[in-house]
Amino acid sequence: MPYYPDTRVVKGLARIVRERRLPPHAVPRATATPSGTPVEAVHVVLQGDVLRDYRIIDVADYFDTRDTARAAGWIEVGEGDHVTAGQPLAQRGRGRRARTLNAPASGIVVRLDGARIVLQVSETAVEVLAKIPGEITAVEPHAVQITGIGALIQCVWGNGGYAFATLRELPPDGFAGLSKLDTRISDYRNVVVLSPQPLTRGDLLVAQQQELAGVVAPSMPSNLREFALGLTFPVLLTEGFGHIQPTELIYRLLQSNMGRQAAFDAAVPDPWSPNRPEIMIPLPSGGTMPAAPSLHDRLTVGARVRLTRAPWQGLTGEVSELPETPQIVESGLRVPCARVRVSGGRVITAPLANLELFG
Amino acid sequence: MAFEQVNSVLVADIGSAHTRLLLIDLVEGQYRLVAASRARTTAAPPLGRASLGLEDAAQRMTAQIGRKLVSSDPDQLFLMPESGGHGVDEFLATGSAGRPMRVLLVGLTPEISLASGRRALSGSYVTVTDVLSPDDTRSEEEQINAILRGEPDLIVIVGGTDDGAESVLLALVDRVRDALALIGRGNVPAVLFAGNHRLRGQVKLMLEPYTSVFVARNVRPSLSDEQLFPAQLELALVYDDYRSRTAGGFAEVGRQSQVGVVPTSQGYISTVRYLNTLPRRRGIAGPLIVDVGSANSVIVAGVGGEPYYTIRTDLGIGEHFPSALAAVGPQRVMEWLPFETTPDALWDYAHNKALRPGTIPGTPEDLMIEQALARAIVRQLVTESRADWGVAPDGKLPAFDPIIGAGAILTEAQHPGICAMLLLDAIQPEGVTDLQIDPANLLSAAGVIAYLKPLITVQVLETGGLLRLGTAFSPTGQARYGRPAMHVQIQPDDGPTINHTVKGGEVWMAPVLPGVAARVTVRLRGGLSIGGKGRIRQRVIAGAAGIIFDARGRPLAMPRPRDRAARLTRWQAAMGGQEVAAALERAAASPMHSAPPPEENVYAVLS
Repeated sequence: MPYYPDTRVVKGLARIVRERRLPPHAVPRATATPSGTPVEAVHVVLQGDVLRDYRIIDVADYFDTRDTARAAGWIEVGEGDHVTAGQPLAQRGRGRRARTLNAPASGIVVRLDGARIVLQVSETAVEVLAKIPGEITAVEPHAVQITGIGALIQCVWGNGGYAFATLRELPPDGFAGLSKLDTRISDYRNVVVLSPQPLTRGDLLVAQQQELAGVVAPSMPSNLREFALGLTFPVLLTEGFGHIQPTELIYRLLQSNMGRQAAFDAAVPDPWSPNRPEIMIPLPSGGTMPAAPSLHDRLTVGARVRLTRAPWQGLTGEVSELPETPQIVESGLRVPCARVRVSGGRVITAPLANLELFG
Repeated sequence: MAFEQVNSVLVADIGSAHTRLLLIDLVEGQYRLVAASRARTTAAPPLGRASLGLEDAAQRMTAQIGRKLVSSDPDQLFLMPESGGHGVDEFLATGSAGRPMRVLLVGLTPEISLASGRRALSGSYVTVTDVLSPDDTRSEEEQINAILRGEPDLIVIVGGTDDGAESVLLALVDRVRDALALIGRGNVPAVLFAGNHRLRGQVKLMLEPYTSVFVARNVRPSLSDEQLFPAQLELALVYDDYRSRTAGGFAEVGRQSQVGVVPTSQGYISTVRYLNTLPRRRGIAGPLIVDVGSANSVIVAGVGGEPYYTIRTDLGIGEHFPSALAAVGPQRVMEWLPFETTPDALWDYAHNKALRPGTIPGTPEDLMIEQALARAIVRQLVTESRADWGVAPDGKLPAFDPIIGAGAILTEAQHPGICAMLLLDAIQPEGVTDLQIDPANLLSAAGVIAYLKPLITVQVLETGGLLRLGTAFSPTGQARYGRPAMHVQIQPDDGPTINHTVKGGEVWMAPVLPGVAARVTVRLRGGLSIGGKGRIRQRVIAGAAGIIFDARGRPLAMPRPRDRAARLTRWQAAMGGQEVAAALERAAASPMHSAPPPEENVYAVLS
C-alpha cells in the first residue's frame, strides 16, 4: 500500500539546494549576485530595505490651505521616488518667501493622492547570507538559489541562530570541564560543540560564558525553549524535548566530521515552512555531483527508517515487511504498521506514522 | 455532470494530520456509505502536495473494494464520471489543514454588526487580527498601518442595516481602500462585504480595482434580524480561494471539486442544520458534534432548532498541543492520568508532539496523555459554548441526542468502550444519551453534499454511516462511593435477562452484542435520578460498546489524588476490556512517565 512518510534528511554526501529570500516586505537594494558565482556561507547574497510603516503627509494641511488642487501642485516628488529624511517633498512659493515641507524620515513615496503624500518609511536594511558554501544557481529579484555539496543532517528544533564554524566534541568531562577553561586561551572559543547528553540550563550558560559558536545536542527540557530562543548562538536539537538520548546514526555521522567547518542553521521549525533546522558540512565530492536528497519517496520494503516515538524512539533500521492490515501496537491502538529490522536483528512492529525516511 | 444525475460521490477531508476519503454510492435505490479510507496528509513541506495523500487514500480504497479511482490523466485526480464499475461521478472536498485565515473585521457597532460578523466568522478557521469601527480612536495613519501590519488574508466588512447607515460605513470602506492601494505586491487580502445591501455596488466599485470582492447578504438586515448562513456560504468560497493561493497543493484539489475546498466545520454546521429538522422526543435538544483534530477543534450543537458552534484554531492534539495545554492547564490533563507525572514532562510531550504532529502514541502512557488532553479540550469547548446554548456556567446542559465524536483521538481509541467513555467524561451528559462516533468523517461530507443534493445527505445519514457506540444512562446527583446506585435489568429480545447493580462512582458497560434490542429497566438509589424519576424503562439497541450505565454522578466527581490511579484504572478497565486493563497496570507500575531530568551541576550556577 502506498504511504508517504515524513522525511528528515541525514546524508553523508548530497547535493544541497537552498533558496535564500528577502523578507516579504523588503525591497531589493542592489543587483543580486549573478548566477554561477561561487559563494562562501557567510557571503551576503541579497540586500534590501525592510519597509514597514506608512506616513501620510497632508501638504494642504501643512501649508494651511483648503485648496487641495493647488497644494498638489506644490509637491516636488513622484511615486516611487526614494527620499531621505529632511529632503524637500513640497515647496510653496519661491525665493526668500519659499516654505518647504521636508521628509520626516527616509523611505519611498508610494502614493500621491491629491495633496497627500504617502511615504513608506525604511526601517532597517536587511542582508541575507548564503548560509551554505556553494554556487549561485538561480537568481530572482527577491531570491537566489545556492547549490552546495556536503553532508546534511536535519534536526528537530533550532533556536533561530546561525553560525559557520568548526564542529568539536565536548571535553571528556562535558560542559563541567568546559566551564573551567580560561576563555581567552580556550580552544573551544568560536567553535560549535556536540553534546552527547541532553542539555541543561547550566550547559547553555557555560556555552554563553565560553563564547562558543553554537551547541548541538540530542535534547533539552522544553522549559529551556524561551531561554534558548534568546541566545545569540545556534542551539540545535537532533531528537526533541525532554531527556532523549541521541540517534546513533546521526551522532556517528557528526563524529566522523569532527574538526570540519560546517553551517549550523538553527531555523525555528514551522510545519508550513520548508526551512528546517539543519547542519551542512561542506565536503569534496571528487569531481562528481552527488544526488540531491529525495523528499518524495514512498515507504517501501528495504527502506532505511528512523523511529520517532517511544518505546522505539532513536532506533534506526530497515523496513522488512509492510503488513496489509492494521496491527496492534504497544499503546493498544490498531494502526497501519511496518515491521522494522533494527540493530541486532530484532524485528519490531511500528506505526507507519512514527517512521521517518532519511532522504 | 449535473449534480441531480450523480450516483456516486467521492468526498475527501484534508485535515492537518490525516486525509480521509469516503465513497457514497447508490445501492438498491438508496445512497449509502460504501467505503472509507485514510492516509497521511501530505500538504506540508517537504511534500507540499495534498493530492499525494489523497491518491494514497484512494489506492487504499481501491484495495478494499476493487474499484479503480485514480486517473492516469495527469490533469485529473480521479476517474470521472463513473463507468463500468470504476471511477466516480463527482468529487467534493473539505479541509481544515493549514494556517487559519487572518481576518480584519470592519463594522459599525460592537454589539450589533460586529457581533454578527464575529458569529459568522466563528464557523470558519479564522483568526481575527484586528477590528476597525467608527469607535476606533487611532489616527488614520495608525489605522492604515495596523491594517497592513496585521497582514490579513481577508477583510470582512459588515454594518448598517439594509437601508440604514451609509456614510459612516463608506468612510470605513474608504480607509480599507487606502490600505489596499498601498499593498503593491504580495498577498492582497480579499474582501467579503456582508453589510447594508444598498452599498454593494458602491463597495465593489471602490475596492474591485485592488482586490477580489465577495458579496453576501447583510448579516444584520435589521436590528432584530440576524442571517449568518449566506455570509458563511460565501466564506466557504473565500476559504477555497485562500487555500488555493497558499502552499500545500490545495488549488489542485479544489479544481476537481464542484464546490472547491469547503471548511470541514461548515460541513458539520450544515449537517446539524439538517439533523435539527428531524422529529425528536419532547425535552430532547438537537445533536452535538465534537471534533478534536490535530490543529483545530470544533463543537457544533443543535439548540432550539438552530446550530451553535465554536471553533478553536489553537486547540488540537498535534500541531497545537502546546497551545491547547496552555489553554486548559496541565492540571486539567493530569487529573485524567492514572500515573504520576509532572507538568514539565507534559510540556516536553506537548512540544515534541508539535514537532511531529502526525505521529501517534507508541505507549499506553502516551495514549493516555493524548486522551486526557482530548477530554480537557472538549470540556473547554463545552464551557465556552454554554452561554450560546443559554445555559448558566453551573447549569444543566441541554439533553443533546445524539452526541457524536469525530477526529482520530475520539474515534480510534483502543476499544469502542473507551471512545464512549471519552465522550462521557468530557461532556458529562445527564439522562439517556445515544453516543456515536464518526470515524470516516461522514458528517462533514454529508453537510457539504446537502448544498448540492440533500437527498444524499438524508439517505446516507439514515443508512448508518456512523458507528453507534450505544446508549448511556447517566443519572443526575451524587451517589456514595461503593454503595448500590443503579439496579439494572436488561431483557434482550434474544437471550437471558441480565441483572446487575452498578455501585456509586463506577461505570458499567453491559455485555450486550451490537444491534441487539433490549428492554432496560433502571432503578436508581442514593438520591440519583433521570429526568426527575427514580425508575426508568426504555427500549434500546446496543451499540459497539453495548449499553452503558454511568453511576459516577453529575457533575462527575473526580477522584482524590490518592485514589486517582486506582479509580481511573478501574473505569478504563470497565470500558476497555482486559487488554486495556493489562496495559494500564503496566503503565501504573512505572513510577514516572518520563525519565527524571538530569541533575543540575555546580557549574550550572555561573551568574
